[in-house]
Amino acid sequence: MRIETTRSAVGVRLEHAAGYHRSDADLLAQLVALARAGLERGEPVALALRPRTERALHTQLGGTAGLIQLSHPDGPDGASGQTLATRRALELRELTSSTGGPVTVLAEHTASLDGADGSFWTELDAALNVALADLPVRMTCFYPELPLHLEILDGARHNHPLLLVDGRLVHNPQHRCPRDVLTMRPAPAPALLGPPDLRITFSAWQLHEVRTAVEEALRAAGYGRSRAEDLVLAVNEVATNAVEHGASEAELAIWTSSGSGVVCEIHDRGVLADPLPGLQAPHPSDPRGRGVWIARQLCDTLHVWADRWGTHVRMQAAP
Amino acid sequence: MTRTVEELRSVDHACAVPVSDEQLWEMTAAFVAAGLAAGEQVVYFDDGTVDGVLERLADDRVAVAESLHDGSFAIVSPDTTRATLRSPPPQVQELICSTVDGALERGYTGIRVTGQFSYGLRRAGGASLLEYDTVFDEVARVRPARVLCLYDRRRFPEGAIEELRARHHTELVVPAIYDDNLLRITSTGAGTARLAGEVDHSNRPRIRRLLETALDQALRSHAGPTDITLDLSSLRFLDVAGAVSLVHAAEEFPSSHRLVLTGVRPRVLRVLDRCGAPFAAQLVVQSRPEYAPSEAR
Repeated sequence: MRIETTRSAVGVRLEHAAGYHRSDADLLAQLVALARAGLERGEPVALALRPRTERALHTQLGGTAGLIQLSHPDGPDGASGQTLATRRALELRELTSSTGGPVTVLAEHTASLDGADGSFWTELDAALNVALADLPVRMTCFYPELPLHLEILDGARHNHPLLLVDGRLVHNPQHRCPRDVLTMRPAPAPALLGPPDLRITFSAWQLHEVRTAVEEALRAAGYGRSRAEDLVLAVNEVATNAVEHGASEAELAIWTSSGSGVVCEIHDRGVLADPLPGLQAPHPSDPRGRGVWIARQLCDTLHVWADRWGTHVRMQAAP
Repeated sequence: MTRTVEELRSVDHACAVPVSDEQLWEMTAAFVAAGLAAGEQVVYFDDGTVDGVLERLADDRVAVAESLHDGSFAIVSPDTTRATLRSPPPQVQELICSTVDGALERGYTGIRVTGQFSYGLRRAGGASLLEYDTVFDEVARVRPARVLCLYDRRRFPEGAIEELRARHHTELVVPAIYDDNLLRITSTGAGTARLAGEVDHSNRPRIRRLLETALDQALRSHAGPTDITLDLSSLRFLDVAGAVSLVHAAEEFPSSHRLVLTGVRPRVLRVLDRCGAPFAAQLVVQSRPEYAPSEAR
């Protein structure tokens, strides 16, 4: 996989709007209008919809021409909004660089990802604002007018700079930048995994011990050579950040027997300067911030969260 | 007296005290390669470290498959090494002498013996390593044999090293620009250096300093090279910031000069690719596609 380092030169940047619907029929009518408008502009239309909604849209449009399905979230340890945002950014970056022009994206709230309180959606939309910031993407996220959790409406209202009202985009005066949103509602901790199989503490001079431990765990779990090497790099970068910016000592924990591959966590007692590091493609001239960005590209899940004890990163990747 | 590996041609029995594993592999591989090139039989007494030596020989582009096959490069298994260093010294002397005689009969010009003798520290055979060392001296005096005794600080206690060191007339030294036991940098000529080991947060600033010094020297000298070359054949890990610093260094070179990275392993190449190396005009990356490391390491 070659990761492009140059930013998009296209004039259009992310247009991130929220839309609301009263019923499935109302939702479908709005989606059809936006999809048609996108197709008429000659743009690909990328969909992140429930399967049922997607089928209905295909029927209404009389086929799937010009429509692209984005990958579905399938976090094994519960959903990670920042991980999904990373994956969407990767897909949309490839799409926009192959077509050279803007892309219309239609997304829909899915109650199965709400988790305990719906904060997944707040995290996802905030992360998308960072991860897609420099991409020529017109994205509309649809939410029910009355979702189960109030948090979902609050998050949608704060994360979207634009609102879709009667088919027109209007400025959203309640929009806040991702940092403010995540200060109010930090990324949630993932599901607990139980005691790890291995736990070591390390300093900036012991990063090779981190690499050795991770490489041994991956090789023992049957990972191929280059996959293991890439994941060792990912953990090394997160571990480096922990001892570079965080405390002088940090901790590595490894779970070798989870159902979805080896899981590593790095814990330090530092405070995050950037609540969601590594979401935006670093500028070539910027020496910093590239490590975590590359780590996010290499892992299946990379979830950063903070609490009063410090900063935590969970990384998981299938063989 | 201290000497370099090249000068060892004229010396029969020398010791070396490597400060790092990288130096251990470097010295052993050079000693083995010189013996094979000279038509000698090379015997390596293994204690489980031979993979490091074989990897380094591959890095150095020394083809050993043929020599391993025809016996000109013989690796003595750890079990046999252990058993040998438990035999009474006179028996060991006889064994080595007959090995030399056998080698001479088969047309070799002599034999070279090296390896890890740390098993001898345990005195399991009732004899000390010093007694075995006397054997090597004796053999080298009466037969065309060259012996390189390696006493590295990770396997030998300080006191034993000093005692053994004092018994050798010749100590082999390989100067390094930098060696922290994780990364070893050696100069290989004007404007060229070789990196062995791993580059991470703990030693990354050394790379920057190395390049600055090399470029500075190249610019000051009229006949200086226009390419600054880093041989990365033995570089096993490069972190993202290390890769970024190589790319940035090349971008900041004057337009007359280039940074050339040679022998780059696939793992290091992928990091460089992800850090913008393909877009840096003054950076030349020469990969090593034939690289196939042994599974043991």
